[in-house]
Amino acid sequence: MFRVKEVQSNDDDPLFNKSNMYKHEFPSDYCRIRYFTLFIMESAPPEIRQTNLLEQQINEIIKNAVKHGNHCDPNKIITVWYSFTPDQAHIIVQDEGHGFTELERWNSFNRKRQECIKARKFCELSDYVSFRTAESDETDGGNALFAALEFWNGGLVFNSKRNAIAVLKKYPKNRTLFFT
Amino acid sequence: MELKIRKTAEIYVIDINGEMDLYNSYKLKDLVVKMLEKGMKSLIINLEQVDYIDSSGIGALIYICSMMKKMNLRLLIVNVRGSVKRVIELTKLTEYFPIADTIEDAIHTMAGV
Repeated sequence: MFRVKEVQSNDDDPLFNKSNMYKHEFPSDYCRIRYFTLFIMESAPPEIRQTNLLEQQINEIIKNAVKHGNHCDPNKIITVWYSFTPDQAHIIVQDEGHGFTELERWNSFNRKRQECIKARKFCELSDYVSFRTAESDETDGGNALFAALEFWNGGLVFNSKRNAIAVLKKYPKNRTLFFT
Repeated sequence: MELKIRKTAEIYVIDINGEMDLYNSYKLKDLVVKMLEKGMKSLIINLEQVDYIDSSGIGALIYICSMMKKMNLRLLIVNVRGSVKRVIELTKLTEYFPIADTIEDAIHTMAGV
């Protein structure tokens, strides 16, 4: 049986250690999500900006917090802790919402999705390309967390309330850099 | 994001220029739906000038791909490169999407050459 990565919730995970991280609060303004991401990215060294993958992945997390966490409520904020080095990117994003209550269903959905991909059952995969909830709308791709689980190779974890996510990307040392 | 439509024989090509993000990816879906309502049978989506795509952009491609598969119509996505390619790889949908290298390859495939 092949192993499928699962998303866990754990307050004690070391990824929630906020020591030596910058902290910034942003309003739940959907129109400015990409601006918030670019603000954070200004702290990232050029070595890890790669093309724009890191920006894209941070943007997804911020969007989730603003839209699905705080429902774009202007009275609620999101809090972002972040630290970058040439070898890693560490991000924590917390919102004021009720948390990702469908985590177990997502893990089950992702397992079936991965099984379809491994078995190359592309017709059946059509049922698992996009994770939808009652709150999903037409602008939700329903695929961000699948990509995030692959991208954040140092870990991805929710807190127990599931309204905060901590992620870590590790970059290989002595890698060849290509700037575009 | 800018969308341009051109037509080669009975094959439509949508050239996308710019960023496919949370603010504009719905425009591609809306455009394709309208083209399907007018009887389009074959479509090539050209991502050559797309340098940024997020989950909404991937979602738009999934929506179009799923819809055209159900309708048994022909779709190919071309010039999947750079970070766009990497994001598709992260979602593990590289083999789910009908992808061709270039527009010429896609036209040849659709024309049965």
